[in-house]
Amino acid sequence: MIRTQISLSEREYRAAKAEAARLGISLAELLRQSLRQLLPGDENKPWMRYAGMIETGEKDASQKVDETVYGNKK
Amino acid sequence: MPARKSTKPSTATRNEAYVDTSAFIAFADRSDSYHALFRRLFSDPPRLITTPLVVAEGHGWFLKRYDTARGLQFLSMIEAIPVGIVSVGEREQQAASVLIRRYSDQDLTLTDAVGLHLMAVRRTRICWSTDFHLGLTKVPLVIHT
Repeated sequence: MIRTQISLSEREYRAAKAEAARLGISLAELLRQSLRQLLPGDENKPWMRYAGMIETGEKDASQKVDETVYGNKK
Repeated sequence: MPARKSTKPSTATRNEAYVDTSAFIAFADRSDSYHALFRRLFSDPPRLITTPLVVAEGHGWFLKRYDTARGLQFLSMIEAIPVGIVSVGEREQQAASVLIRRYSDQDLTLTDAVGLHLMAVRRTRICWSTDFHLGLTKVPLVIHT
């Protein structure tokens, strides 16, 4: 990891902090994820552009696949 | 569903990983708590295998949560990922049924059971999944390693 400093407007900072809190991640992780979305992917690994293509807002979405696909028990 | 690539049990390698639906979802969903792990794993994958049942389950998940467009995007993702799609026929289905009966106290799906069967016959040593059902036969889940 390389440490760096960036300057944000107060509005950008507040909005970014609020979004990070909503997702349950740090501000640094939010900025890293945003950069990954923005930057071109590795041309040798075209599948990586699908990484993070959706955002369910749920931390355990992958653990509830059966529930989503097959439904809850009555 | 026709198999894209088929690999015989005798060609199994020790580094092969079986990929369950949940791993594909965690890779695609940036809010999932295992997203960072699977992003890292898929960025430098070993030999990967999955089944048409997993693909169908993942596609169904996208149709249920989103729409046709997202479902197609999921299929494009599967086509892009270097994963071997192992054919599933009557023999695999019957073996999976045996496992479902053996673990009848669990809500094991046919997709899960076929995955467990394939990992056993191919001696697959690691399973990419966040679903505890895939750990029933003691193949380590990558989230615990």
